[in-house]
Amino acid sequence: MESTYAQLAWIVPLAPLIAFLILLAVGRQLNRYSAHIGFIASLVSFIFSILILIERLGEETNYTWNDWDWLSVGGLSLQMGFEITNLNALMLVIVTGVSMLVNLYSAGYMKNDDRIHVFFSYVALFTFSMLGLVISENILELYIFWELVGVCSFLLVGFWYFKPEAKAAAKKAFIVTRIGDVGLFIAILLLFWYMPGHQLSFSAIHNALSEGAISSGIVTLIAILIFVGAIGKSGQFPLHTWLPDAMEGPTPISALIHAATMVAAGVYLVAVTYPVFEASATALTVVAIVGAFTALFAATIGIAQNDIKRVLAYSTVSQLGYMMLALGIGAQVAGIFHLFTHAFFKALLFLAAGSVIHMVHKQNINEMGGLGKRMKITAWTFGIGALALSGIFPLAGFWSKDAILAVAYDENPLYFAVGLIAAFFTAFYMARVFFLVFAGKPRTPYEGQEPKESPAVMTIPLILLAIMAVVAGFVFTPFNPWLGEWLGGAAEEHVNWTVMILSNVVGLLGIGLGYLMYKKGSIARDAVSSRVPALYNLVHNKYYIDELYQLIVVVPLKALGDLLSLFDRYVVDGVVKLAAGSALYVGRLGSRLQNGQLQGYGLVSLVGILLLMVLLVGRRFFHVG
Amino acid sequence: MDNILPSYLILGAILFCIGLYGALAKKNAIIVLLSVELMLNACNLNFIAFAKYGPVPSLNGQIFSLFNIAVAAAEAAVGVAILIALFRQKGTSDVVDMDSMRH
Amino acid sequence: MIDNLLDFLSDGENIVFAILAVIMISSSVFMISFTKVVHMVVSLALVFLSAAGLYVLLEAEFVAFVQVLIYAGAITILMIFGIMMTRHDKQDEEPKRPFYNVLLFVGAFALFGVIFFAIQDTTFAPSYGFEPGLDNTREIGLLLYREYVIPFELVSVLLTVAFIGSIVMAKREEE
Repeated sequence: MESTYAQLAWIVPLAPLIAFLILLAVGRQLNRYSAHIGFIASLVSFIFSILILIERLGEETNYTWNDWDWLSVGGLSLQMGFEITNLNALMLVIVTGVSMLVNLYSAGYMKNDDRIHVFFSYVALFTFSMLGLVISENILELYIFWELVGVCSFLLVGFWYFKPEAKAAAKKAFIVTRIGDVGLFIAILLLFWYMPGHQLSFSAIHNALSEGAISSGIVTLIAILIFVGAIGKSGQFPLHTWLPDAMEGPTPISALIHAATMVAAGVYLVAVTYPVFEASATALTVVAIVGAFTALFAATIGIAQNDIKRVLAYSTVSQLGYMMLALGIGAQVAGIFHLFTHAFFKALLFLAAGSVIHMVHKQNINEMGGLGKRMKITAWTFGIGALALSGIFPLAGFWSKDAILAVAYDENPLYFAVGLIAAFFTAFYMARVFFLVFAGKPRTPYEGQEPKESPAVMTIPLILLAIMAVVAGFVFTPFNPWLGEWLGGAAEEHVNWTVMILSNVVGLLGIGLGYLMYKKGSIARDAVSSRVPALYNLVHNKYYIDELYQLIVVVPLKALGDLLSLFDRYVVDGVVKLAAGSALYVGRLGSRLQNGQLQGYGLVSLVGILLLMVLLVGRRFFHVG
Repeated sequence: MDNILPSYLILGAILFCIGLYGALAKKNAIIVLLSVELMLNACNLNFIAFAKYGPVPSLNGQIFSLFNIAVAAAEAAVGVAILIALFRQKGTSDVVDMDSMRH
Repeated sequence: MIDNLLDFLSDGENIVFAILAVIMISSSVFMISFTKVVHMVVSLALVFLSAAGLYVLLEAEFVAFVQVLIYAGAITILMIFGIMMTRHDKQDEEPKRPFYNVLLFVGAFALFGVIFFAIQDTTFAPSYGFEPGLDNTREIGLLLYREYVIPFELVSVLLTVAFIGSIVMAKREEE
């Protein structure tokens, strides 16, 4: 039969789930060997994903299996199952590949942690959820896995829960993404309401929208609500505030979740429900504007951050903005392609940063320096990742960014300008980080052991990812748009030399400026910040968005919560206490009767007899009267 | 009024209720005993009234009231004896203090 | 209503009944409202005496005699003995239990109300002649020894038991 491997696609999420269960049960005994379980499970998933991908290279139709009747109410039934499309297959490879490398890397990074088995069990659970999300057959199933992924992110960001910052960051991550999730949920409800036959599967949505079965106003609303969900998960403005704080989690997590996979879930969601967006021009514009704005916004913040992980976090937000921009201007293939390449070089950058942090036990780039000589592999791979991110020819990032900018150039010069400026800043801050960390002399002495290269378990993933960062771009160049045909159907054949040259120039300018400021020192570091301190403060403090949210949202909600808790304590509890108290009071009253006083007993008997007389005999009289 | 029977009965009822009030409201045990005697008296009045004016007038009512008087006397004697014994025990003839039947 | 009352009082028998009834009721009210115990006993004796008067009115002379003898005589004296033996020097203060007293008053009044209502509602069949016989004592004696012999004997046993019992209970503990 044709789709032999696609039929077995359920094995792909199953392997990490089994690993999770095993680690849950016997993780504590396994201790350091938990890493082996996690790695083996992710390796199994990866192999299957590769097989599925290879098979899909020749397939035409999607493989769907939705025979499981999950919920049958009245005449309506909701199916659950899985679906393998070209897009899915690609995502499967990305997720399992990065997960496998992160598992390997974490064996070294988390070696000395007491709760290493808990860590690997959470990672396995996360991998299961993300894979389930990717092969979901209908949007409700996707939502279930969406929520699960959010929970895993919460668990992993707050892994070192004894640190109050980690606890706060985990809560923030969950709550802020929850706001987005509400939008997605309302969108699902609306879809359920308006879809013919109340179908929720992606193929049904695609068919219904190409026939125009839903009115355009509703379609716009649904599309925007779906995008709200994507804003939350992918950290777009205004729900971006959780992503930088989520850097409190261990660095392998930042690489896996907040660079390559979970944040890509938002992009994937928009891509898989793209027919809804295509049917509404307003929604596409909203997506594009939010994406473009976020790209520039986050890039400007990134140039003024001093924590190496924060810089990378804002870079992630910015690159996700690029992906959203691509989807918004109709370049669906470009957006997915950028997701593909970004997964590799961002994971690489995070893992390399983790390697540095693991060795020097510091995260502030102003306190580092001169690590290039001592940690050669880390430095080289970080450099390759930084160049790829800056979009320098011929690395992967160049091709994907170029694809987006080319379409933006044709669509709207404003988008193109914004993308270009953001690319300049991207190159600049990556150069800044690279030169401050790896070049020059150590700015502060390194206590303890001399930093040397990380162990092989940590450097092998770096090397593998660096290779991908170099070659992954060649699947979709203007000269060879193979990915476009395979994913989307139509092929963009024309080559836009202007865009290609401009993006390269801008990237090199950014790197050059960074070199001059931070390596050579020709331009003073505080050239701008000393003259216009207000500007520096603005970007360094992230445009004070967090403080604004605190004032507008958190304080009133907390006041409301306090009010309601007061209400609960005094009114609701008061009623309950009243019930209990009155029973007690009546009991006490009754017990006063048992005081041995015969006369009291006599009185009670008298009253009883009277009542009996009136009730039994008087009935006859009152009926007549 | 032709019939004087209701008047006797009502008189008996009044006496009975007054006796009941006294039995349940007074603190001194002697007075409780006195009130009980009053109640028994009211019953006697009823019996004798019915003996004359009831549907079947006969002397049965009077016989019964004689027995009633006998029993009342016996009960009064025993009651006073108990009261004296209790007084020796507790030093007071207050019914409020006779509460060993509590709980 | 006044006509009814005047009609009622035209019969001599009824006047006597009215007077005796008033004495009875007022004595019993005094009984429960006096403060000193001895006064209470005296008013109770007055109740008994007026009851005897009523019995005479009801053609039950023997019972009236027995009433005076036993009730107004023996039982009253017995109570006074009881008061003597259980001496209390202080005045009898009633405990302040207003709630209880009010409830009791309401209860007793309600009981009276129910009985009153029941009496009012009943239609008594007109009695067909009461034949008391010439000598009430003789008639009662005949009844007692003919038809009610067994209860009579039982009552005597009861009285025996009662007096033995009270002697035993009131006896001083011998060393």
